[in-house]
Amino acid sequence: MGKLLRTAAWFAALAAVGAALAFAGEPPASVPSAAEQVFAAAPARLLQIRTVVAGAGRQSSVGSGFLVGPDGLAITNYHVVSQVALEPQTYRLEYAAADGSRGAVELLAIDLANDLAVVRLDKHDARFFQFVAGETPGLTKGERLFSMGNPLDLGFTIVEGTYNGPVEHTYNERVHFTGALNPGMSGGPAVTADGQVVGVNVSKRSGGELVSFLVPGRFAASLLARIRAHPADGPRDFRAEIGRQLKVWQAGLYKSFGEQGFRPVAFGPYQAPETAAPWFNCWSHTNASVIPKVRASINSTNCRSDSSLFVANDLITGSVQLSHSHVTTIDLNQFQFATFLSQQSQPRLISGGNYRKWYTPQRCHEDFVAASGAPDYPPLRAVWCAHAYRQFEDLYDISVIAVTQDRGTEALVSRLDLQAIGYDEATALAKRFLEGVQWTK
Amino acid sequence: MDQVIWIEILNRSRDVAARVRFAGPEVRVGRGYDNDLVIDDPYVAPKHLRIFRDEEGRLVAEDLGSVNGLYLDRDSRRRDRIVLDADHPFRIGHTVLPVRDPGYAVKAERVAAPRMHVQGLLPSLGLGAAVLGIALLALWLSETGEPRASRYLVPLLMWGFLVAIWVGIWSILTRVFSGRAQFRRNLVIALSGLLALALYSELAHFMSFALTWRFASTYTYVATACVLALICFFHLREIGPTRLKLKGGVIAALLLLAIGLQTLWQSEAFRDFGQQSFMIRLMPPALRLAPVRNENDFFADIAHLRISVDADRLKALHDDAAR
Repeated sequence: MGKLLRTAAWFAALAAVGAALAFAGEPPASVPSAAEQVFAAAPARLLQIRTVVAGAGRQSSVGSGFLVGPDGLAITNYHVVSQVALEPQTYRLEYAAADGSRGAVELLAIDLANDLAVVRLDKHDARFFQFVAGETPGLTKGERLFSMGNPLDLGFTIVEGTYNGPVEHTYNERVHFTGALNPGMSGGPAVTADGQVVGVNVSKRSGGELVSFLVPGRFAASLLARIRAHPADGPRDFRAEIGRQLKVWQAGLYKSFGEQGFRPVAFGPYQAPETAAPWFNCWSHTNASVIPKVRASINSTNCRSDSSLFVANDLITGSVQLSHSHVTTIDLNQFQFATFLSQQSQPRLISGGNYRKWYTPQRCHEDFVAASGAPDYPPLRAVWCAHAYRQFEDLYDISVIAVTQDRGTEALVSRLDLQAIGYDEATALAKRFLEGVQWTK
Repeated sequence: MDQVIWIEILNRSRDVAARVRFAGPEVRVGRGYDNDLVIDDPYVAPKHLRIFRDEEGRLVAEDLGSVNGLYLDRDSRRRDRIVLDADHPFRIGHTVLPVRDPGYAVKAERVAAPRMHVQGLLPSLGLGAAVLGIALLALWLSETGEPRASRYLVPLLMWGFLVAIWVGIWSILTRVFSGRAQFRRNLVIALSGLLALALYSELAHFMSFALTWRFASTYTYVATACVLALICFFHLREIGPTRLKLKGGVIAALLLLAIGLQTLWQSEAFRDFGQQSFMIRLMPPALRLAPVRNENDFFADIAHLRISVDADRLKALHDDAAR
């Protein structure tokens, strides 16, 4: 809450500046803008979805949503309703529509992979939003989009922005929306000038400006179609449903990761496996220009998948990371070099207040390993660390580290971090990964 | 009184403060200067008692009408007469007095433990140089950045200071309880302990890398506590060679307590934060002693690790359900 307040104060300052500019500038045009027309049609069907602490009756978080049918069904983000899905005893949902009506909200279905949820309101016969027809929205880059919601609980707003096509290098399909999405707008609709829904506001890139993301509307439309076809199918035990969907999602992720495979990349005398999957962002790093002068050089690449999945406020998982560092001594002796290597190869520790809520303690195993027989493989010092997810069966975070052990003055440190993966899948991937560390032919 | 007797006066800590030889037929004891034995104890009467031999030749103490009376030591019943026995002293006021005759059988001569011939400065210097050498070498071999003098000087000065304080405290204690400070002997004990710790830490590092035996580094705290306990025991022996079993027992109990607490703390931290004290410590590949394993064997071990992880999960779920 503190964060929200701080952000709110900052916004107040911005608003004040905006007002001053408005006074100084031209008076507003009398012809209503497209945004005005879109927003004028919104009130009864645009919603704020509140998560309320059942005991206290006060909101603990807010998001947005929109009506999609005369039957009172509405779409929002899974992350807006996650507290209710995970802890229905503690939290309940309420809505406040832009026309001022209020009431209770029932959670009907969730789609963890696409961060969507369907809820039912006691609000019928109100106007509702339509989705853009077809698989792809048929929009071109630069087209105007209007995103609506209730940012920071300050009141309903409309934000004008542009459609910029699907996001590249991402596993979870997202639409790139260039416009200012703020906390509280999650779950709100992003519509074309004629009011048809293109996507659902979901997130923005912190550190960027106006870089925001939408869940493509067709996922929401198909989830809705599933619910309408099987109205009784809505799971009542959402926690189990989350576990089931998480398992399905990660199976797809790691199947794709495995099928895309590894391609060899040379690092000095070694070659190392880099992923061929398109949904990774890879960056190189070198310490050549570091001052004071380094005593061992590092050339590394680090590839991180854009595949994170929101499960709960304190659990975002599903990220895959590969990195290779080619380390060569400049004037360190072998012992000093080994110490230097040790600093590069510690297992990453996830820890903190919620560690115990989601994970079992991490256990590690280490040994000297060489891939079977063939002469192309350097001996490795390999480490495997694993912890299980407490609440989901056969789901682990695995971290593999391998350091080549053939020279005293040069080595390749390779790491593979797999979040939310089955143990056997992880073993198979790690095996391929270790076999990918070879001498250059 | 045809036989000589010895009367001893014990101080508060029950050591003999004075020992007086008497040859007369009767000894009078009290605070007044007209007695044969004058006791400086305000709770003793001016004429407190007399000691004599009765008809049967036994030594007897007889109260001469004091206010505070005559007691056997560690006994609360007031007596008018006590037939004395060399092993059971009597008490008047706050003073305890054993009475012994020349026939009293003393204990056999105690066999002296061979004294460590470490009185000279040389052993301390040698040990100090060894500890210093290992520490500097370890620091140098783990140096990966720009060499800085402070990196070597600060820990060395800190440790030197700590050792000086430690040895100083034990020397003061030794001085208080046994009369001689034995600074050099205490220094040798402390430095030996430090050397053992330094050697252990290097050995543990080596074993966890070269043989992949992690337990040596995992249980460094046990080894540290044991060495510390041994050092304390030897310091205590310097203070006084008496009641070594009791001292050993107390130290062993403290040792077990310390290890137990540390283990408890680690297991709770492990459960709460999931941080097994796991650190990769590499050494030059040439030092490897363990064979390089086939990857299938390695992954068999990995499959085995799953059993522990799954057991952790079941236990956690069980604990959650119980709560």
